[in-house]
Amino acid sequence: MPDIFDVQDLEQKKIFLILATPGMIRERNIEIIKEISAQGYHTVVITTNFPYSILAKLYAQSGIPGESVTFIDAVTRNSIGNAQNIPGVVRYINNPTNLTDMGIAVTEVLHEHSEKKICIMYDSVSTMLIYLSSANISKFIHFVTNKLRLMDVSGIFLAVEKGLDPMLMTQLTTFVDKVIDTA
Amino acid sequence: MEKTNEQKSSVESGILDNALVMIAVLEERGRIVSWNHAAETITGYSQQEVIGSNLIWKKLYPDKDYRTVITLKIAGILKTKNFFENLETTIRTRSGESRTILWNTKKIPSGDLPRTITVGMDVTNEQEAMAFRGSIIDNAYVLIAVLGPLGTILVWNKAAERITGYSPEEVIGRRDIWKKLYPDAEYRRAITQKISRIIFESNYFENLETTILTKSGDRRIISWNTRQIGAGGIYHEIAIGRDISEQRKAEEALIAYMTEMTMRLKQPVGIISSTLLESAQMVREGVLTTEEIVLVLEGQARNATQIAANIQEFQTAIVDRDRSIPEAYRKFLEG
Repeated sequence: MPDIFDVQDLEQKKIFLILATPGMIRERNIEIIKEISAQGYHTVVITTNFPYSILAKLYAQSGIPGESVTFIDAVTRNSIGNAQNIPGVVRYINNPTNLTDMGIAVTEVLHEHSEKKICIMYDSVSTMLIYLSSANISKFIHFVTNKLRLMDVSGIFLAVEKGLDPMLMTQLTTFVDKVIDTA
Repeated sequence: MEKTNEQKSSVESGILDNALVMIAVLEERGRIVSWNHAAETITGYSQQEVIGSNLIWKKLYPDKDYRTVITLKIAGILKTKNFFENLETTIRTRSGESRTILWNTKKIPSGDLPRTITVGMDVTNEQEAMAFRGSIIDNAYVLIAVLGPLGTILVWNKAAERITGYSPEEVIGRRDIWKKLYPDAEYRRAITQKISRIIFESNYFENLETTILTKSGDRRIISWNTRQIGAGGIYHEIAIGRDISEQRKAEEALIAYMTEMTMRLKQPVGIISSTLLESAQMVREGVLTTEEIVLVLEGQARNATQIAANIQEFQTAIVDRDRSIPEAYRKFLEG
């Protein structure tokens, strides 16, 4: 697979919407982290489908250094109510619908790693659609992209290709700098 | 062969009696000299009751005020000419029924005594039919406008007033309503060109949708149909407009809702499937601990539960939006 990103785009702190088929979305996640870690970026992964512990294993299997990734996990606490945050590694939020907590977690994690070249990856817009209306997702992504631009941070939103209606797709396209269809 | 006076009188009498209109011959002061069979039929008063006096008029016009009005009207007409044409009055028949009569008179020479032949046509049924047609047009649920040859509005029904906000008084006899309904000159020009093109090709148009601006400033979507009506070289355009604004809104809402739900059902099911398959592969490879397997399964079960709730929400929304769904299906959809 050729590189997904142009190095210059990352340096310019651009924001991306990456589209993949449902069967390839996990693979794309790993490829992206691998690629941007190789560029010296620290990635904050917001996961709404796989628990952090599994993703961390998959990254490790793919040779991604553990210290180059921090997780915001919206899955685990739904099963294990008392999962404790691990500073610098994972922050748990109760469930994917709690956008306020998610917003706070994003802000705090970005501040924690403000001295690094940082990139945030949101996996995935599609899973969020199970729990939230497209209007709410659109508002949240607008909020996050604004925050990223203010903090001069790159961002990646993963979504399933052909899974977003034309209205949401148009909105997301206006929030991001580039749409990359990897399907 | 020359007819004798007796024969002539008999023929005239036959014509008079068998005519389908009321014919009465009057002397001065309205005294009845002749009263035909149709007059008897329409009024219910026989020749014997009528001939020789003028009391019949009091019976036909029992309301004194109305009688005075009619009398003055007739006197006014007779001041300038010795006949009148198409004078419409309403008489009361013997049975108490009201009938509308269209009167025409003519003075006839008859020796020293001037006589007047009065012909009354019972137009009650025609008037009722006309009123009925007018009422249908006026009370139709669709906007109906009839345009004269120069585009002057001749008919503007109640629905037209209700939809546009402009009353018949503001519209009938004028041509400027279209400027009010389409105040944007560019849009008006585009619509006019489109209409001209269609009319040129087929003389009428069907389901042409335009957006009008009402008097109160609302925008409404109207679906127009036109036909040319008329005969004898005079043609009018009848324009029928159906307000489809609510229908459009409902359609748009339904499309938006169905799109949203497709997005929130089809795609997540794909994600659950992929996640479970990937997890199964990881289990086979011994990557996942029991706790992680439980985490994945619980997570996907939650996703599936949420999708079922989304489907229920979708069903409820469909039931709420479409009242025409049969009761049995409604209950099923409501779960």
